[in-house]
Amino acid sequence: MEQKEYGGKMIEIDEDGFIQDPDAWDEGVAKDLAKTEGVEEMTADHWKVVNYLREYYLEFNMAPMIRKLCKTTGFKLKEIYDLFPSGPAKGACKVAGLPKPTGCV
Amino acid sequence: MDLITVTRKCGVAFDIRVRGHEVTSDLSAKDGGRDEGPSPVELLGGSLGACVAMMVQGYCERHGYTDGDVGVSLTLELADGPKRVGGIVVDVELPEGVPEDTKEVIRRMAERCPVHETLRDPPRVDIEVM
Repeated sequence: MEQKEYGGKMIEIDEDGFIQDPDAWDEGVAKDLAKTEGVEEMTADHWKVVNYLREYYLEFNMAPMIRKLCKTTGFKLKEIYDLFPSGPAKGACKVAGLPKPTGCV
Repeated sequence: MDLITVTRKCGVAFDIRVRGHEVTSDLSAKDGGRDEGPSPVELLGGSLGACVAMMVQGYCERHGYTDGDVGVSLTLELADGPKRVGGIVVDVELPEGVPEDTKEVIRRMAERCPVHETLRDPPRVDIEVM
């Protein structure tokens, strides 16, 4: 398994760049993961999405449905894609340190 | 219904032709294609989006909501075992001035578009290999 330096520490990632140990995640890791997704600066809106994904994952051990993500954060689908160009699954979940969502290829 | 034909273009890219129109479908480079067009699954999403948009645009024009156009954004949630589309999330944007209490009517009408009805009650698909 490949290792990359994110947030100043070596992190194990899969072939699509998702981190393998959710406990290794912190804000520094998120900022560096965001850059791999074309997000140079994490704004308050980016954090709103990432923090919700993370809280949901820690409670339910899975990513929320996209509609739930939109309703809870108040962002339209298009706005989520404006924030994370590769989308909620491949982009936002990756930055939030979640495992690769089911079927995400 | 007119005949739809699918013929190879190059690699895994195929041209879809119907009534003199042509659309290329391909896979992204990451998935082994040359990215010459939307993937078949993306076309499925686009087909639903276009169908919903046509229905809602027609409703808005009939009711005088013409300050702007209908727009649809959608994404597909993929599922495994077997690999398929597990969910589709559709956002419909309306022209200005559509009353709040009309939006539920429009949502129900969007659900009655032929592509959505087809997804809700899947057709029999009869494949013969020649």
